Amino acid sequence: MAASPDPSARPGDGGSASAEPILVVDDIYKQFETQDGVLVAVDHVSFDVKPGEFLSVIGPSGCGKSTLFNIMGGLLDGYGGRVSVAGETVRGPHASIGMIFQEESTFPWRSVIDNVAFPLEIAGMPKAERLEKARHFVDLVGLDGFERRYPSELSGGMRQRVSMARTLASEPKILLMDEPFAALDEQTRLLLGDKVLQIQQDLKQTTLLITHNLTEAVQLSDRILVMTYRPGKTKRIVAIDLPRPRTSEIVGSDAFGHYVAQIWNDLREEASRGMRDDESRRGGARRA
Amino acid sequence: MAETSLTRTAPVAAPWLSPVTRLRIVIIVTIVAVWEAVAASGLLFRDVVPSLVVIGGALVNILTHVDFKVPVDSFELWIPEFYRHLWVTISEVATAMVFGGLAGLVVGLTLGTNPFLANAFERFLYYLGPTPKIIFFPIMIMWFGVGPGSKIAMGTISCFFPVVLSAAAGVRQIDSVLIRVGRSFRVNTWQMVTKIYLPAMREPIINGVRLGLGVAVIGTLLAETKLSNRGVGFLIINAYSTFDMPRMYALLIVLFVVAIGANALVGRASRR
Repeated sequence: MAASPDPSARPGDGGSASAEPILVVDDIYKQFETQDGVLVAVDHVSFDVKPGEFLSVIGPSGCGKSTLFNIMGGLLDGYGGRVSVAGETVRGPHASIGMIFQEESTFPWRSVIDNVAFPLEIAGMPKAERLEKARHFVDLVGLDGFERRYPSELSGGMRQRVSMARTLASEPKILLMDEPFAALDEQTRLLLGDKVLQIQQDLKQTTLLITHNLTEAVQLSDRILVMTYRPGKTKRIVAIDLPRPRTSEIVGSDAFGHYVAQIWNDLREEASRGMRDDESRRGGARRA
Repeated sequence: MAETSLTRTAPVAAPWLSPVTRLRIVIIVTIVAVWEAVAASGLLFRDVVPSLVVIGGALVNILTHVDFKVPVDSFELWIPEFYRHLWVTISEVATAMVFGGLAGLVVGLTLGTNPFLANAFERFLYYLGPTPKIIFFPIMIMWFGVGPGSKIAMGTISCFFPVVLSAAAGVRQIDSVLIRVGRSFRVNTWQMVTKIYLPAMREPIINGVRLGLGVAVIGTLLAETKLSNRGVGFLIINAYSTFDMPRMYALLIVLFVVAIGANALVGRASRR
């Protein structure tokens, strides 16, 4: 707990004052003890998310994005600063936050429908009711007809949609996603992005996406927070002023290209810093 | 052209037995023939290697010769005494599996989820695991008496080790993201164990139970042969000490079949 939390310092960056933020991330600081000494993973990051907003956090590998994700999800403690949901401080996993993980996370021993019904089962909902509700979310992610299948019978993209349906079934106020499409090919990724956009617009789902993919971030977001490489700080918050509803078709538009170029400019500096750092570390290890 | 090639590859009649089956038959027939030849030759004492016909007769006798009155109050039920002994052994092994299996599972889960305790105690399990458990039999007799209690205790000790070691290893091979998913949905400890740990550990647990069943049978039977007046182990050692070799072989055959059946039962439960 070598942190310097000062809740009054920064009330959150950017955005208009039209609605009260539902998620406030205030001055988060997290460091890890490693063999090479202390590593600052997240260095005083603050932002907030308004109801219905889609915010992406983008940064090069090793910038502390996943650490931030785990802190917001309440899966990691020993950090400085404060995360609050609708004014309530997050201590441990919060009922209003639903998480979708980067890794393969479906339960292989449960069928699609039973996977999706899992959070409802945990909440003690009667069987008939929870299956009906789960079916709704299976339809929502476009997996109707696959209810009785097991994850091993599905493709990677379908399995990731099962995870998504499972988290949505818990009806979180805020959806947290950590590079949910990282393991998928580019086409599947774009099409799944469409699905996410459509769901987000249908449910008016407040969403926070952690990603290192520029196209994905610009395609989906209202705002993008660019993080620096080690220590992870806020480099810039960019508002994406592209018309909605969007689909993957906007990927070809001029405005889209403009945003990508602008954010890439910021990101490039950080990514190359990360690359140099990585190379020197490997080089050093080889010489030692 | 196409037609000729089609006619050439006309389906060959499938062999009526696969090569594996044929090899098995050959091996079994050879063993039976050699056994009978040795029995007939008198090279070994006739009583040590009795003819299979004699063993078959003893087997029929064991399974069908009615010589034991089951105490039922309203009427008289007579059965071959063998079934009473078989029942004793089966219930001893089953009880041992329940105690040893549950204890192994609980301790295994605890060690698998708690690195501190695992560091402190797991090596002792690895030391004790391969130790022949029969050395504990005198202690078990003193603690639990000469009746079924000491046999159940021997079976329990035997079955505990494979189950605890595979459960502890099984916990560690669970994909950590599944545990994070559970935590993110705010499952309680009981739900975490029953809805995530146990289903995720199915394979290692079943393997442990399988190995545990094998050694539980060994532990129980061995104990029965040492000191008892009931059970299949007792019957076997009794046949041996009265030099009734056909009966002893017949009992071994029955035991073999029961063991195969029990293993098949576990296998079946695992495929459910």
